[in-house]
Amino acid sequence: MSNNDCIDPTSSDCDDALASLYQYLDQELNTASSETIRAHLDECHGCNGRFDFERRLKTVVNDRLSEDVPPEFLDRLRQALSDEQQPTVG
Amino acid sequence: MADQATFQDDALQYSRQLYSAAMRMTRNPSDAEDLVQETYLKAYRAYHTFEAGTNLKAWLYRILTNTYINKYRKDSRRPSEVDLGDVEDLYLYRRIGSEASAEASRTTEDRVLDGLVESDIKAAVEGLPENFRLPVLLADLEGFSYKEIAEILDIPIGTVMSRLHRGRKAMQKALWEYAKQRGLLPEGAEKP
Repeated sequence: MSNNDCIDPTSSDCDDALASLYQYLDQELNTASSETIRAHLDECHGCNGRFDFERRLKTVVNDRLSEDVPPEFLDRLRQALSDEQQPTVG
Repeated sequence: MADQATFQDDALQYSRQLYSAAMRMTRNPSDAEDLVQETYLKAYRAYHTFEAGTNLKAWLYRILTNTYINKYRKDSRRPSEVDLGDVEDLYLYRRIGSEASAEASRTTEDRVLDGLVESDIKAAVEGLPENFRLPVLLADLEGFSYKEIAEILDIPIGTVMSRLHRGRKAMQKALWEYAKQRGLLPEGAEKP
């Protein structure tokens, strides 16, 4: 394992940080917990590398999942909604 | 209470996101269009029940998700509880680390992240069982909070977190296979 080195692999700080990795990246932690992790990442090269990779992967996934709506479909959708708004009187 | 007259202006701004999610749910453009159109028509009809000022995007996603579940999974009301098996945490990162030297691992990380194309990412998400795919889509495509995802899918927040965690790991396992197929790893790493 070449990219996984922590300064102190026996430290429980690393385990704690990794256990909260997704919550941290998803911005689900409170300010104090986020600060604790940020401080740990500043001093632990190994954890910083892991978090950085996961953060970049999350961005890549987000960027490459989007689709453009086919313009013809958008036209049909608008038309369907307009028809719904003004039902033909019968 | 929201005004139906403003529905198109209010709601169509989310069409790109809803269509993207629908594509990953149904896996084909024709069904995705049907799903999005049905979602918008239902939303329009129910718009008078939407509380103006609350989260319109989440409300639309809830309709989209329920419509998808009811329409495309006819066998049962609840998502099928497919198990993914055990996948190591940080799967992709650890695989890259085990294949590249310390100096090369950052380069390899970059090559993998740059080299995985849209179709790889989409296929990796589409390959997830539905009960994992929906939380991953809502979090990673849409950026909904865990609480919003719990409300959209009507499952406890702890379930959102565990499915998201395991779904992402399974997605990484698939991405590793695509990275190998694309030759994004250092010489020799593709050996079985």
